Amino acid sequence: MNAIGFRTLFIKETRRFLRVPGQTLAQPVVTTALYFLVCGYARGGRVREVGGVPYGRFIMPGLILLGLSQNAFLNTSSSMFIAKLQGTIVDLLVAPLGVVDLLLAFNLAAILRGMLVGGIVWFISALFTGFEVSHPLWVLMFGFLVGLTFGLVGLVVAIWSDKFEQLNIVPTFIITPLTFLGGVFYSADMLPPPWSYISRVNPVLYMVEGLRYGVVGASSSSPWLGLAVTGGIGLLSLALASWMLAAGYKLRS
Amino acid sequence: MNGDPAAVETEDLQKRYDEVVALAGVSLSIGAGEIFALLGPNGAGKTTWISIVCGLVRASAGRARVLGHDVVADAIAARRLVGLVPQEINFDPFFTPREVLAFQMGYYGQRPDRQRVDEVLRALDLSGKADTNTRALSGGMKRRLLIGKALVHRPRVVFLDEPTAGVDVALRRDLWSYVRQLREEGTTIVLTTHYLEEAEALADRVAVIDRGQLVGLDTTASLLARFGRKQLRVRLTAPVGPVPGAVAPALPAWLLDLGATLDASGRIVTCPLGAGSPAALLARLATLDPPVADIDTEQPSLEQVFLTLTSRAGGGEVGR
Repeated sequence: MNAIGFRTLFIKETRRFLRVPGQTLAQPVVTTALYFLVCGYARGGRVREVGGVPYGRFIMPGLILLGLSQNAFLNTSSSMFIAKLQGTIVDLLVAPLGVVDLLLAFNLAAILRGMLVGGIVWFISALFTGFEVSHPLWVLMFGFLVGLTFGLVGLVVAIWSDKFEQLNIVPTFIITPLTFLGGVFYSADMLPPPWSYISRVNPVLYMVEGLRYGVVGASSSSPWLGLAVTGGIGLLSLALASWMLAAGYKLRS
Repeated sequence: MNGDPAAVETEDLQKRYDEVVALAGVSLSIGAGEIFALLGPNGAGKTTWISIVCGLVRASAGRARVLGHDVVADAIAARRLVGLVPQEINFDPFFTPREVLAFQMGYYGQRPDRQRVDEVLRALDLSGKADTNTRALSGGMKRRLLIGKALVHRPRVVFLDEPTAGVDVALRRDLWSYVRQLREEGTTIVLTTHYLEEAEALADRVAVIDRGQLVGLDTTASLLARFGRKQLRVRLTAPVGPVPGAVAPALPAWLLDLGATLDASGRIVTCPLGAGSPAALLARLATLDPPVADIDTEQPSLEQVFLTLTSRAGGGEVGR
């Protein structure tokens, strides 16, 4: 392993998103705060609690997950795609950086950005709902895993994409709909059949429930199932990203 | 010949893109410390050859080694030794030249060294823009930054793919002297260029590639001696008159036998200097009618060599 090389790329990837904090840190905070205000208060007026959990606290984990997953995804995907587009990918391909160096550097930076945004979303939400976290270590560990998984997915999508349009398919048509339909604002148990069954096919539901367990101490499905689903998608993405980098898929002709 | 590995060695290197043959089996051996120029028309396969050696393109067949390290089987070790100036300008819009160079050192496993970064910025006349965002650099500055990125980690082999395209004349000369300095420090330089003057000024050896094949390889001096022709350019006081019975003016038979040609004005005769005595030729030229007004000699150029070699279909003129 090229330790200095990995560390340099990690620092570069981190500095890259810190250079544009309005876009990378503030923008998701504003969006999520608006979600919280509109959905939490407007709906909270009618739906006071879900499964014994106050509605504001109920939606908090889903909003954290939305910010965390989108930002982890965007960090790797935008960086890799822009590098391909601008031609600076040559710097990394010619340098003595192995697959492990590249994977670690890109994804640790993605996890850092995702967890920073997730943390800020938690802080803003907590101003409305209270700062209590039931299982903080679980939240950190779970957040790390979600960040890693979506960072890897972002890397895979960016390597595969030839156009910006393709790059946007995943966040627009997969991550956001699955997150909104993944029990962020409601419990799957509240839906009538067959929607409650269909909801349970959505893997993001288990991620939201996993994080909900850590934040509020209750979830409609086992947090271990959430961990297994996230880990499974993470492993699949890891295998795909490793193969793409090792084989030079769409990187080395 | 000692036992040290060649700086760069390719054996029967081939690259096909579906039906298109980009490289048709190029074997080259470049010694350590050489300045080696790779010439050829657009699309000849020069960039493909460099890209395979630098690990950007995978060969369809054949092998490539950098200082004994196979670029596929021992890729990381091979890449540690090289620096590449790609043909296309690229820049990272988030960072400054100073940051970009420091990152580049890090990628090669070297701790960023401010002194070294400053030295490279100075050598490439970028000190004044060291802390400016790369977006604000001119095209020439961006190209110089590319050169800096390829050199900052002190690679043992540097590939310069069209390094001075778009760079002004004064800076091009500065870069040439920097390249010579690098060679004196033991760096091997492999360059492609469209400026044949550049290859002629810098290169110890030249390879000419055409349609994916090596059509010429020798020292610059030998290629010039073999394919370049020194010639006399003779201006007459008046146009050559027509030969009786012929429509066009013509030169005397002895001059035509030497390969001389007459330009459209009928006043300029160009005559290759062959193996014969120049003094004897000058004496015969003095008998020309109309008489000679002026005589000039033209030195052989790499351009002549290049045109000669690339105009031969499937040439195969390979020296050493």
